[in-house]
Amino acid sequence: MTAEVVGGVDVAPPTVASRGRTARLRELAPFLPAGLLLGVLFFVPLAVMFIFSLWTTNANLDIVPTWNLDNYAQFFQTGAYVRTLAKTVAMGAAVTTICLLFSLAVAYFLARYISRRWARVALLVIIVPFWSSYLLRVYSWQAILGEKGALNQVLLSLGLISEPSRLFVYNDIGTFIVLTYVYLPFAILVLYASLERFDYTQLTAAQDLGASPSRAFRYILLPQIRPGLITAAIFVFIPILGEFLTPSMVGGASGLLIANLIQTFFKNALVPQGAALGLLIVAFVTVLLIIFRKYLRVEDVYARG
Amino acid sequence: MAKNVDPLETMPVSRYAGLTRWGLRLIFAFLMLFLYLPIVFMVAFSFDASQTPSFPIQGPTLHWYDVMINNRQLLSAVGNTISVSLIVAVLATIIGTMAAFVLVRGRLRYPNGVRIAFTMPIMVPGVLIGISLLIFFSRAVHANLSLMTVIAGQLVVTVPFVVLIVASRLQSFDRKLEWAAADLGASPRRTLRHVVLPLIAPAILAGALICITLSIDEFVITWFTVGNQLTLPTYIYTKIKFGVTPEVNAVATVMLVATLLIFGIASVVLGRGRRRLPGRRRRAAIPPA
Repeated sequence: MTAEVVGGVDVAPPTVASRGRTARLRELAPFLPAGLLLGVLFFVPLAVMFIFSLWTTNANLDIVPTWNLDNYAQFFQTGAYVRTLAKTVAMGAAVTTICLLFSLAVAYFLARYISRRWARVALLVIIVPFWSSYLLRVYSWQAILGEKGALNQVLLSLGLISEPSRLFVYNDIGTFIVLTYVYLPFAILVLYASLERFDYTQLTAAQDLGASPSRAFRYILLPQIRPGLITAAIFVFIPILGEFLTPSMVGGASGLLIANLIQTFFKNALVPQGAALGLLIVAFVTVLLIIFRKYLRVEDVYARG
Repeated sequence: MAKNVDPLETMPVSRYAGLTRWGLRLIFAFLMLFLYLPIVFMVAFSFDASQTPSFPIQGPTLHWYDVMINNRQLLSAVGNTISVSLIVAVLATIIGTMAAFVLVRGRLRYPNGVRIAFTMPIMVPGVLIGISLLIFFSRAVHANLSLMTVIAGQLVVTVPFVVLIVASRLQSFDRKLEWAAADLGASPRRTLRHVVLPLIAPAILAGALICITLSIDEFVITWFTVGNQLTLPTYIYTKIKFGVTPEVNAVATVMLVATLLIFGIASVVLGRGRRRLPGRRRRAAIPPA
């Protein structure tokens, strides 16, 4: 530190420990356990999976080291696989859209119409269901959406339908409803964090200048909460790419998604094929993470409630 | 109109303001129904006499709680789940907090790359982490699958949460407080113990609680990395495949109440700690870096 830049308390005191290689090693040492964990138990297994994806299986389902990209090529040449992938992306997009719309309304309501204290209580109430078993909550949906389920009984007694409908579960609609249920709270938390920071006098100012309320909302509010909308979209869309429990429980045979396909490969001992498809998804997710790196505010999603 | 009325308050109100308000209220009510319906059913079926958690409702009973208490397999699964989650939470909190300090304050070469690397296990689907770990354990290092491999697998997804949450708190930490402590003669260790750690404690605790809740309910990675032992979620899964009996609902109800109690106690303790710390309000006024 030179004498000219003395800025009172704003200048960090010089430290002795920041010089030399051993000092640097000591500085980085606390990082080692986490770094090793991530390396050995996350990146190395993915690398091992990549090696397997280059190999192949023979007629006896033994794994033969062949070193080529055939498994990847085969995936894109099989119409059924590509369709499942397209359906998964479409499902992700649909659930993300409905989650954003629904949570925008809820978060706006909490941020604008409710006192901050009660909004926090409401957020807590929104998260509480997530402290109980995911499996059982999804299982409960079968009791609600099924042929003898609560929804059918309500609709029957209201006279809206004349016989129990099988439309709600064991198909894409069932998967859609339950995935929305699972991911909605994350979107609400993120959007509330954005809407809570917004200065609402801006809307009044816009209307004072002649904008209609909807115009003010569209051109003043929405652009400013864009980062929140993007964060929410990421935290809903990406996990859906790997959802296999919900589709397998409420999706029936027609509602299965790409992760169910991966699981089927492994169940049938087609490790190289499953590994190739798995890595395609990892690559896709990684690209999304790098593109949207500015919006990955994990702490906004998980540490606010 | 009185002179001292805030001009903002005299803005003309949209014709649709009342409609919007009621619409939003309706949406919120629908949300509550949507979120709590499955929970209500889950809890209700644990008190219902019918043999499977489904309609029609047969009548109230505590029978399933009795069955639960005498189900050895279920209880050992709960025991496994609790011990795994405690070990995971303690290890992940320590490992993650240490790494967060280096991430924020150390001169890592590619801090943004490291941040993305730590976000990956959170965002990469659990099914892929589970499968890659299974291949790694069974075909590469030939480890026996057990609760140890479950703990290892769960650490992969919990440590990043602690790292990112504690790092975000450290980022907004006012370092002048540390310099002041050093200026007053405190050793770095003493500063860490008495100044830094108490101030970031809420973030560390939040991280630990997230680890516990994630671990207790973790199914996918556990399913692929567990040997012949059972945890509560894997037990429930095998039950779902062969038909759930409501004692599983009874366990889930007990666990929900237990989690609520833990969080309640934690927030009371945290709230008390907050009140004991003077200057909190002032700190909050400093915007995060």
